[in-house]
Amino acid sequence: MKKEKLFIVLLSCILLMGCADQKILERIGLVTLIGYDVEEEEKISATVVIRQINPEFQSKVEVQTETENTSKGTRISIDRKTAKQIAAGQLRVVLFGEDLAKKSIEHPIHTFMMNNEISTSIYLAVVRGDAQSLLAYPYENVTDVGQHIYNLIDHNIEQQQTISSTLHEIVRDDYSDVRNFALPILLKKGENIQLDGIALFKKGKMVGELPANDIFYIMIMTNKLDNGTVELTLDGETLNNNKFKDEQLQIAVDSIKTKRKIKVVNSKQNEFNLTVNMDCRLLEIDSKVSLTDPKVYEDIERAMSEKIKKEMMKTLKYSQEVDSDIYGFGEQFRSQVRDSNLTEEKWSELFQNMKVNFDVNVEIVRNGVFE
Amino acid sequence: MRTALQINNNEKINASLLFFVVLSTQIGVGIHGFQRIIVEDVGNSAWISVILATLFSHIAVFFMIKTLKLYPSNDLYGIHQEIFGKYFGNFLNLIYITYCSFAFYTVIRNYIEVINTWVFPNLAQAFISVSLLILVIYAFTGGLRVMVGVCFFSFMVSLWILVIVFFPLKYAHYNHLLPLFHTDFISLIKGAYSMTFTIVGFEIINVIYPFAKEKEKASKYVHLGLLFTMVVYLIIIVISTVYFSEAQLKKTVWATLTLFSVIKLPFIERIEIITICFWLIIILPNLCLFAWSAYRGVIRIKKIKETTFILVFSVLILIANIPILTRAQINRFDHYFSQIAFYIVFFYPFLLYMIALSKKLLKKRERSN
Repeated sequence: MKKEKLFIVLLSCILLMGCADQKILERIGLVTLIGYDVEEEEKISATVVIRQINPEFQSKVEVQTETENTSKGTRISIDRKTAKQIAAGQLRVVLFGEDLAKKSIEHPIHTFMMNNEISTSIYLAVVRGDAQSLLAYPYENVTDVGQHIYNLIDHNIEQQQTISSTLHEIVRDDYSDVRNFALPILLKKGENIQLDGIALFKKGKMVGELPANDIFYIMIMTNKLDNGTVELTLDGETLNNNKFKDEQLQIAVDSIKTKRKIKVVNSKQNEFNLTVNMDCRLLEIDSKVSLTDPKVYEDIERAMSEKIKKEMMKTLKYSQEVDSDIYGFGEQFRSQVRDSNLTEEKWSELFQNMKVNFDVNVEIVRNGVFE
Repeated sequence: MRTALQINNNEKINASLLFFVVLSTQIGVGIHGFQRIIVEDVGNSAWISVILATLFSHIAVFFMIKTLKLYPSNDLYGIHQEIFGKYFGNFLNLIYITYCSFAFYTVIRNYIEVINTWVFPNLAQAFISVSLLILVIYAFTGGLRVMVGVCFFSFMVSLWILVIVFFPLKYAHYNHLLPLFHTDFISLIKGAYSMTFTIVGFEIINVIYPFAKEKEKASKYVHLGLLFTMVVYLIIIVISTVYFSEAQLKKTVWATLTLFSVIKLPFIERIEIITICFWLIIILPNLCLFAWSAYRGVIRIKKIKETTFILVFSVLILIANIPILTRAQINRFDHYFSQIAFYIVFFYPFLLYMIALSKKLLKKRERSN
C-alpha cells in the first residue's frame, strides 16, 4: 500500500511538470518576421509581422511598428499594443533597412545570438529602402507577408540561386577575422517582392552591392554548387564560327555542378590559384547553331569558360575595391600558410592587393531531347 | 582492522556493465560547453587536447585499478582506512565524500542554469531541483543494480543524439581544422587540463570496483568506456571546430546546444529544446552514482540506512540550491571544482598507488623477517 501511494505521488509529480511554463497557441502572437530600420537620434524602429492563430476564424496577420532605443524596448512597446503575448520562437526572417545596414547591423545580430528563443537558422536580408514600407504595404496576392518572404528566400537558397544567409553563417563570418559576409537584397517592385542583388559587408557595415546577375559567379567562387542555373551571353566571335561573327549568342545551362578549389601558390606575394570545374546541361541556345557536331560543343565550352572567367574577375575586383572577402580567400590563406598570424588589418591589406589566377573548365555533359 | 567488504553475489554487477557506468558518469553537463574553454587555450587544435586528456585519464584509471587490485575486495574508502588508519583514513574519506557531493551539486547546478537559460527562464530553481531529486531518490532506493540499469538505459536511449550532431555539417568549413599541429605542446597540455571538468566521472571506479563480478575483465571495460567517451568528445569538438569560427566559438557559452539550434527537422523545428530536456536522462546516472559513492563513504564512518542517507543528502542539496547564483559565480564554481577534481582524479591515484605499494612491500618484508 505504502509503495503504491508513493508511486502515485511520484507519477503525478512527473505529469504535473508539463504545466510548468505554458504557452498556449491561441493565446500568443507568433512573430514570424522582424524588419529593422534606423530612425533619427540613433533610435531603432522595428516592424514586426505577427501571426495570430485563431481556432474559429482564419489566422490573422498583423504588422506593427515601434521605435525605441533597444530591440527589446521595441518589443515591450509592441506588447503594449497587441492583445496577445508575443513569442519570438517562430521567427524566420530578419530584414534590415538599407540605411541601417550601411550604419552597422552588428548590434541587432548580437542581440539575436544572445536570445535563446531565436534559432540560429533564421534568414537575414537587406531591404532596399526601408523595411517598414516593404512590410506594411497591403499586397494583393500575399496574405502573410512573413511567410511569403521566408518562402521566397528559402526556396532561392535551396535552389542555390542566392547565397545562404542564415544567422549562424553571418555570425560565423562576422566574428572571423579573415572573412566577410554578404546578404541578399530584397526589393518591393509594384505588387511584388523580389530578390535583387547582394549586399557586401565589412565588419557588420554594408560597403557595397553586386547586381543579381553576379550572384552565380559569387556562388561558384564561394562554395560548390549541386544544382545551379545560369544564363550567359556569349560573343559570337569566340565561337570560331563566321556565321555568328557579329552576333550575341544567348545560351542557358542548368543542372550545374561545380567544384572550386583555392590554392595559395605564393604566400609572399599573396598569389592564389582558383580552379572551378563545372559540369552542366545545355538547355537553351540559338536554333541556328547546329548541335550535331561535337566540335561545336568544344567551342561553346571554351566560350563559356572565357565568359565565366571574365565575370568572376569583375566580381572579385569589385569585392577587392570595397574590401569585403566573402569568398573565403582569407580562410584558405590561414589554413594553407603556416604561421601566417593573420589579423584583420593584415588580411585586409593582403586581400586588396592579392593576385588570383583563374582557371575555369566547363563541360557540357548533355543537352535536351532534341538537337 | 575489518574493513573488507562483504558483498553478496546478487548485489554484484557484470563487469561489462562498467562500460556503461564509466560512459554515463563521464558524459554529463560538461559536454554542453567544453569547446569554448579548450579553444581559448589551443584554438583549432582542440581535438588534440581531447585525445591528450583521454590519455591521461587512461593512466589515472590504470593506477586506480592497480591500487584496487592490491585490496581486491575493498573500495577506496576501505583502502584509506587500511593504509592510513582509522582517523586519518576517515579524514581522507571525508574529503572524498565532500568531493562527490560537490560533483553532484555541480551537475545539478549547471543543468538548472541551462534549463533556465534555454527552456524555462521563469521556472524556480527549487522546482527543478526537487523534480530531479525525486528521480534520484527513486533510483537510489532501488539499489546499485537499478542505478547501473539507469546507466545502461541512459546510454541506449541517447544514442540518437550522436546522429543529430552530424546535421550541422551542412554548414561546415573543413579548412577550419587546418593547419594541423601548429599549436605548441604547452598549450595542448593546458587545453587537456581544461578538459578536466568534462572528462571526470570515471573515478566512480574507486567505489564500484568491488561490486564487479569478473574482476579480471573489469579493467578492459573501463578502458573501453574511456575510449568511447573520447570518440564522443572528438566528434563534438571536430564538428564544433568546422561549424563555428574560432572567435565565435569563444563567445558561445554552450556550443553543443547552439550546434543543435540550427537543425530543422520536418516534424520538429527546435530540436535543441528536446535535447536539453532529454539531457535529464543523461545526467541522471551522474547524479545517482555520485550520491551513491558518497553514501559508500558515509557508511564507513557511521552506519546509516540508505533511505535516511539519500533523504538527508537531498535536503542538503536542495538547501544549497536555494541561493541564486549568477552565471559568473557558477563559472567560478566550476573552475574551482575542476581544479580540485584534477588533483583528486588525476594526481591522487598515482600517489595512493605508490603509498599502497610501499606499504605492502614493507609488510611483506616484515613477515619474511
